[in-house]
Amino acid sequence: MITLQLLVNGLALGAAYALVALGFVLVLNATAAVNFAQGDLVMAGGLLGVALAPHLPAYLPLPGLLLLPVVLVLMAGLGLVLAAAAYLPLRRRPPVAVFISTIAAGIILQNGASVLFGPEPRAAPPLLSGGTLDLGGLVVAEQSLAIIAVAALLIAGQQWLFGRTQLGRRLRATAQDPEMARACGVRVTAMILITFALGTAFAGAAGLLLANRYFVTPTAGGDLILKAYIAVTIGGWGSVPGAVAGALLIALFEVGVSSVLSYPVALGLLYATLLVILVARPQGLFGEAARRRA
Amino acid sequence: MTGAPLLQVEGLTAGYGGAVAVDRLSLSVAAGEAVALLGANGAGKSTLLKAILGLVPAMGGRIRLAGEEIGALAPERRVRLGLGYVPEGRRVFPGMSVRDNLEVASWLGRAERVRDLERVFALFPALEGKAEERAWRLSGGQQQMLAVGRALMGRPRVLLLDEPSLGLSPKLAGEVFAAVRAIAATGTAVLVAEQSAARALSAAGRVVLLRLGKSIHDGPVETLPGDALRDAFLGG
Repeated sequence: MITLQLLVNGLALGAAYALVALGFVLVLNATAAVNFAQGDLVMAGGLLGVALAPHLPAYLPLPGLLLLPVVLVLMAGLGLVLAAAAYLPLRRRPPVAVFISTIAAGIILQNGASVLFGPEPRAAPPLLSGGTLDLGGLVVAEQSLAIIAVAALLIAGQQWLFGRTQLGRRLRATAQDPEMARACGVRVTAMILITFALGTAFAGAAGLLLANRYFVTPTAGGDLILKAYIAVTIGGWGSVPGAVAGALLIALFEVGVSSVLSYPVALGLLYATLLVILVARPQGLFGEAARRRA
Repeated sequence: MTGAPLLQVEGLTAGYGGAVAVDRLSLSVAAGEAVALLGANGAGKSTLLKAILGLVPAMGGRIRLAGEEIGALAPERRVRLGLGYVPEGRRVFPGMSVRDNLEVASWLGRAERVRDLERVFALFPALEGKAEERAWRLSGGQQQMLAVGRALMGRPRVLLLDEPSLGLSPKLAGEVFAAVRAIAATGTAVLVAEQSAARALSAAGRVVLLRLGKSIHDGPVETLPGDALRDAFLGG
């Protein structure tokens, strides 16, 4: 039973990590740029949830769930600002320019959050309730199940958008060959802006989901960008399903090892495993050549 | 079935980083006409096609599509106004299915998009059975057909093809050029750049010879002087 509970906890954490990694890899594919601000955007989403929660009318049920669309929209807007300020002016410069500009954007977010919220850990409201459910002896936090459900819905929505719609085809074409996409009539800059908005909205959703069970501090982003980076590396650089699978694996590993040993040991082993994967299988566990990525 | 010029290029100069690859070049292509653009490697054929599309900035000259000046427009605007482009090396979207590669280039509603898909599959039946396959799995010939089909999905009035026979077996290259003839016969203006003169001339009614970025001959295939090709490919 404990194993099952750990599995649910791991899946919940993995579902939130998956949103972070998904946003990261979408931007990576569309722009070939590593968005180092992704972790800080998760933090920003969490603190946005914290800041907005008191303004919701008290008579409304399910405050966390109602916050979700608001956080998604506001964070998508922040993604547009990030793209306009940190990516578009530098898109024809060497990739290192965007690395640095996104790191700078992350630092601005971190310091802005410190000024506005202070360094103390904060908690956002739960999506449904802070209670637990007894499923035939398996006691699980409702928030864990809600995290899994919401992340699954958002990921399914992304898959539908990219796989079934004209907009999704244009987003994928832009990610695979932007010049050829233009030659097919695709407005590539608009697609890049939309990708940043989506990636940042996913980061914000992950922040809101994580900020209830795991709390949020202004410096939480550093750990999360590393996790996203590891998930994308494990899953195959540029692979969207690989990023989601990589995130789930990381979280299950983290929760499993933490329960037997400790969190610092889990982190140490995670980084060691990453090094082994980079040496032994640099294309990632599920990776295929980048040119073939979906 | 040729008529008034659909594509008019006047005094176009284009190149990379200040180096001129196309030098004050003029040509025109009428509706239903197939024009072969011939020249040795480095003659400026690819640069000319890219400059017409806007992927390489023009340093001077004019480009008109159906009388409308398009030289200042972004490539995606030119495509939506009626230019279609089949690049050298095919450049299909490798991780997308054949169907998605085709649909992404359409600007019409679903019903018309499906009708255009059927037209492409009728022109290239080999693609229909592979509709759900990822494009990187296709053979070179099938990828070339896909690249041509993708350009057709935008319903181009002018189709620009860059080395469509490159890397293909003679049989497959023949099939691609048969398709080019069929496309021109529907009223589309076709400008095809090739190194393989024989194949291009088999599909074209008119030929433009390029050497070092300049047009050294422009006229009907039948009146092509015997030594003009030698001059274009070997100098003289």
